[in-house]
Amino acid sequence: MSEAIISEIKLANAAELDLFLSEESQQRIMSADERDTLQEMMNIAFGRAAASLAEVISIFVSLSVPCVQLLKGEKLTVYLEQMVGPGPEISIVEERFYGKMEGSAFLVFPADAGGQLVPLFGDEETLYEGEAREEVERDALLTTGGILIGACVGKLAELLGDQVSYSPAKLVAKTQGKAIPAALCNPDAVAIVLKTDFSFREESVQGFLFLVTSQESIGWLKEALAGFLSQYEG
Amino acid sequence: MEGLPAQILEIVDLGVVVLDTEFRVCYWNRWMAFHSGIAAEAITGTPIFESYPKLNTPEFLRGARMSLTFGSPAVFPQSLHHYLFPFKVVGTPNGMFDLMQQHCTSAPLREPDGEIGHLLITVQDVTERAISQQRLRELNIRDQLTGAYNRRYLDHRLPDECKRHDRHHRSLSVIMIDIDFFKKVNDQHGHEAGDKVLSQVAGKLMATVRKTDCLVRYGGEEFCCILPETPLENACVLADRFRTSVERLAIAAGSTELRVTISLGVAQLRPEDTHATLLKRADEGLYDAKQSGRNRVIART
Repeated sequence: MSEAIISEIKLANAAELDLFLSEESQQRIMSADERDTLQEMMNIAFGRAAASLAEVISIFVSLSVPCVQLLKGEKLTVYLEQMVGPGPEISIVEERFYGKMEGSAFLVFPADAGGQLVPLFGDEETLYEGEAREEVERDALLTTGGILIGACVGKLAELLGDQVSYSPAKLVAKTQGKAIPAALCNPDAVAIVLKTDFSFREESVQGFLFLVTSQESIGWLKEALAGFLSQYEG
Repeated sequence: MEGLPAQILEIVDLGVVVLDTEFRVCYWNRWMAFHSGIAAEAITGTPIFESYPKLNTPEFLRGARMSLTFGSPAVFPQSLHHYLFPFKVVGTPNGMFDLMQQHCTSAPLREPDGEIGHLLITVQDVTERAISQQRLRELNIRDQLTGAYNRRYLDHRLPDECKRHDRHHRSLSVIMIDIDFFKKVNDQHGHEAGDKVLSQVAGKLMATVRKTDCLVRYGGEEFCCILPETPLENACVLADRFRTSVERLAIAAGSTELRVTISLGVAQLRPEDTHATLLKRADEGLYDAKQSGRNRVIART
């Protein structure tokens, strides 16, 4: 699941599938400047997240420059399917977050990533001794997913001046439609999709992370963005 | 802590611990006191690692720092950690776990100014669940007659092992094993004697393998042994040990004493192999062993 393949699918089909809001509608919700600022803040936040993960818990992960898009609520499922593509099987980890900014974080991994992440939790042979292979791999994926989401969302919230709490990470199996909470699928809602690609250096596991925040968060988010910008003005 | 929340924390069937950022105990609920045998008054104010030095692992610290640094929750699932606090199992011994199996979580606790000042740890006893899951797993992956792993298990495990060994560039070998003239045993002494031979041979093989090896009943009187981290030469040494130990085995079936031999084929994973081609090569070795007189080991390189 390389970035190039994902982008290609996305670009080829986005217009046809009518995924994104028109530039005019996007402008009404969030100006181009605001979107740029959000993107820049994510970039800073995720950079800090990666640095802290390495420094504090010795997990080395690289995160690509994120992108921000406004999506029709009803198109979220289609968007996800387009992102993942028809290729290899995938596992999706979802964690909801609650604060002034509310929403869901989704991590998309290749289906066999769990097995590759097991060494992060100790000696593989000892962990596999009880023959609980599936549980061990699922929990390795969930725990690592929780760590990555916690670091990225936590740093973004910190930068925006928010404090978030979380619901436990869940493994949402291969059905993309089920990955999206019903409330966010509200056809009238607008979803802000913040997407980044990540790769674990040691375990050569790659995938992507995206955050979906609901329209209700947008008002607050715009204020926070203005606050952030005002630090550099005058 | 006062009032209703304090009462609740003392009553719930859940261990609740609060640590400060230096990992000193600030709160230790009644559940923790009961299972640890350490009273709240005795442990409060002391560093948790003084009472539980083995908690001071990279895995625990990773979760704890996730909560303290990033303000996000962390989970310590039973499958990966077994437990955080080594408590005795409640009730009669279960034959599987000496220590309570735990599902633990950690979460940040914030001060009024928003700073993270404390770490909350919860401990849930999941021993019963872990035992029934383990029993179900065993039923699902073992052959009932011999106690060896079943074919379904091999179909899952071998591809995984091949991938893992290939990724880490380690040696992986397999041995295919077949009991010589088994049909004769069945015909001459009956199926009951045949079953006895199968289970005793399997028992002998399982007693010979290392803990990390995996013996599978491949079908009928055929077995397969997966040997992780093992090059061909060592696999051949083990195969020959299999052969001699079965040769020496006296199997009591009614009033008679039966003796059987086994033929074995050995192969090592090559970079271009799939699990199927690896098994096929070991099977060819087994075929050659049968053709050249049985009761022998033949390696296919």
